Amino acid sequence: MDDEDEHPILTCVSSSARQLYLLLRCINFSEKAHVQLSEEGIKFSVDEASAMEGSAFLDKSLFTAYTFRTPPPQRNSQNSDDEDEEDTSSTPTFQISLPSLLETLQIFGLTDPNTSKPPWARENPTSTAFSNTVLGMNNMCRISYDTTGAPLSIILTEATIRTTCNLTTYEPAFADEIPFDRQSIAFKTIMRGSWLFDAISELSSTSPEKLTMVARMHRGKPYFALSSSGDLGSARVEFNNNPYPSNRPPPPPTNPNPTDAENGPQPTPHLLEIFKLSSPSSTLRNSYKFSLIQKAARAMSVATKVSVRADTQGVLSLQFMIEVESGKICFVDFRFVPLVDEDGDDDEGEGEETMMGDGNGDEGPSARARDGSLGSGTASEDEDDDDDVEMLT
Amino acid sequence: MRFKASIHNITTFTKLTASLNSLGPLAWVKLSDEHVCFTIIPEQGTQVWAVLSIDSIFETYTVQSAAGNVINLEVPLTSLTRALKSALNATSAQLRLTKKDSAPLLALTIAVANAPNAHAAFPATAANNDDGFDAPFDSAFGSGNRETIVTQEIPVRVLAPDTVAGLHEPQCREPDVHIILPPLLQLKSISDRFTKLAMAGVKSGAATAPSRTRLEVAANMHGCLRLSIKTDAMSISSVWTDLNNPELDPSQVTGIAEHPSTRMKQLGTADGRSDEGWASVRIDGRDWGKVMSVGRLGGRVIACECECALCFCHDHALILYVYLPSDNGEDESVLTYYVSSYSA
Repeated sequence: MDDEDEHPILTCVSSSARQLYLLLRCINFSEKAHVQLSEEGIKFSVDEASAMEGSAFLDKSLFTAYTFRTPPPQRNSQNSDDEDEEDTSSTPTFQISLPSLLETLQIFGLTDPNTSKPPWARENPTSTAFSNTVLGMNNMCRISYDTTGAPLSIILTEATIRTTCNLTTYEPAFADEIPFDRQSIAFKTIMRGSWLFDAISELSSTSPEKLTMVARMHRGKPYFALSSSGDLGSARVEFNNNPYPSNRPPPPPTNPNPTDAENGPQPTPHLLEIFKLSSPSSTLRNSYKFSLIQKAARAMSVATKVSVRADTQGVLSLQFMIEVESGKICFVDFRFVPLVDEDGDDDEGEGEETMMGDGNGDEGPSARARDGSLGSGTASEDEDDDDDVEMLT
Repeated sequence: MRFKASIHNITTFTKLTASLNSLGPLAWVKLSDEHVCFTIIPEQGTQVWAVLSIDSIFETYTVQSAAGNVINLEVPLTSLTRALKSALNATSAQLRLTKKDSAPLLALTIAVANAPNAHAAFPATAANNDDGFDAPFDSAFGSGNRETIVTQEIPVRVLAPDTVAGLHEPQCREPDVHIILPPLLQLKSISDRFTKLAMAGVKSGAATAPSRTRLEVAANMHGCLRLSIKTDAMSISSVWTDLNNPELDPSQVTGIAEHPSTRMKQLGTADGRSDEGWASVRIDGRDWGKVMSVGRLGGRVIACECECALCFCHDHALILYVYLPSDNGEDESVLTYYVSSYSA
C-alpha cells in the first residue's frame, strides 16, 4: 500500500519474515490472536480457555522501518484494562487468524525444494555469492494496517514473486487479561530457557495432568523443584544452587540434551540467577495444568533466559527472553492460572520432602523418577505411586 | 496385432506414468508408428492428452495391426507404474503385448545385472574381497553376464477403433493469454501452501463440509502470473513478474491482429499491480496440485528443463502444455492438460 491521502495506521518493513515467524510460532496454540498496535511495536496475544495466555511483542527495533500513526479515537479498544500500556484508549486492537499468518510468513524459503539440494543440482541456479539469499535477507516482509476495520496486509517479496496476504481483522473478544499482580510477587527466579525446557520435556514422558512448582529456602540456599503427577506416576526435577564446588560426580544425564555438553563440567555461576521469595521462611507451592504449561515448550526451547514469577494469588508468569538474529532481544510472555487445591493431602506429604541432592551435588537439572529405581530418598511418601510403576514394568 | 519395444528411458517413463496416475486410474494408450499417446479422461478434474515421440521413451520399436498399424489399449496406470518402478535399476527393459488364456496383457521384461560383489548366494563371497581371486572366479562362472530376468504382466484391454472413434481432444476457443510458467516445483510448493491455508480455514469453520478449495489462477500479457485464494479469514495472492509471453507463430495462427491475446496486450502492466488485462480461471486446488506433479519430469532427468506454457480462456478453461525436449531436438513431446474453470 502506498501512502495515499489517508495515512495508514501502521506500516512496517522487516528484512526477515523468518524472524517474525520464529517469534510468533512460540504462541501458536490458538486459532485467533489478538493484535495490539502501538508506538512501541506490535503485540500478539492468544488465550486458551482463560486459563492461560501467551503474548509475543514485536518491538519496533525488529523492523527496518516502523511508522505508527494514532488513529482518531473513534472507537475505544475493549481491552483497555491492560496495565502494560499507559494509554490504551487509542490503541488499535483486533483479532486475526494466527495459523494463517504463520503459514503466510513461511511461504517462501522454508519449503523451497531447491534449498534442500546442493547448488549444482538446483534447477535454476539463481543465487550467486552476492545475492540476498546468502545473507538470509531473501524474504522482505511488509506489514500494513490502513484504517480501523481494514484487513491486516502482509506483503512478502522474493526475487520476482510478490505475495500479498490480507488477513481479515475481527472485533476483539471480551477476554480480560489474566491479572498478574506485579506489586505482590511471591516468588521470582531467572534461569536458562533450555533448562526449563529439558525439565518440562523430561516430565512430559509420564503424560502427567498437573505440574507442581515448589520454591523455598533450604539451609540458606535456594531450592526450586518442578514435579508432575498423573495416572502413570510422578516425577520431579530439582534445581539447586550450589555455591561450593561439586565434591561428587554429577548425576548421569537423564536425557541427552545439547546444553549438557556446554555447561556440564565448567562451574556455572548459578543455576538460578536470581532467586527471591517474598517470605523466605515459608514454602511456595502452586499447581498448574501440565498440558497448558507444555504449550509454552516451543518458547522454552528457543529462549536464552526465562523469568519465572508467581504472585500471591498463584498466577504464574513465564517471561522468555529470545535472542533473534543480530543480538536483538524479544520477549514472549505466558501467564497461567493455578489449579485450585481440592484436598490438602499433598501439602502434608511433600512438605516433609528431602532434597535429593542434599544441596551439594546437583549441578544442573536432574530429573529422577521418585518411584522405582531412584526414589530411595523420598520413598516415604510414594507408596501408592509405586504400585503404578510396578504394573508397568 | 504385434507390439514390442524396449524402453530406453525408464526413469522418465516411470515419472510420467506416476504423474498421470495421480489424475486417473485408467489411461487410453494409443500406439502408432510415430507417437505414443496417453489420454486420461477422469470423471472429474483435469483431462490429459499426452503425445510423446517414440524415441523419448522407446527404442527398437515395432507396432503392427490390421487397423493401419495403430493399437489402442486401456492400461491400468497403477499397475504399470508399479511394474516400471521395479525396473528402475534394470539394465534393460522390454514391453510386449501378449496373450495369456486369451486375456491380453502387457509383459514388462526386466533384466537386472547382478553386481559382481553381490553374489550373496555364493559361499565364496569372502574371496570377492580380493581382486586377485575375483577376476578368474567370475570369468569361470561367466559372472559378467549373469542377469536376473523378471517379467511383470499388466492386464490390459484392447480397444476397438470404433470405441475410441468418439473420443476427441477438447476444443477451446483461442486463448486470451498465454504465458510460460515459472519452475513448476516452485509453483507447486506455493499453490500447495495456498491449498493448505484454505483447508485450515475450513477446519476452524467445522460445520462446513470439506469443500473444494477454489484457487484462482490469472495471467496477463505482460509476463505476470497471479495465484490467489480467498477464505473467510484471509485472502492471499502471489504474483510472479518477468515471465515470458511467447509470440504467436503467424504460420500457425491466422489473424493475429484479431487474436484475443493481441487485445489483452493493450491492457495491464508489467508490474502486475493493475487490475486490468488479467485472464483468470478458478480451479480446484488439489486437482491443480496433481497437475503440478508433472514438474517431477523436469529437473535432472531431462538435461534441459521442460518448458511449460499456460493458455487462459478467461472464465472458461486453462490449458497447460508441458514440452518435453527429445534427444534429437526435432520431434517434441507434448503433454496437454485441460483444466476447466468453475464459474464465479
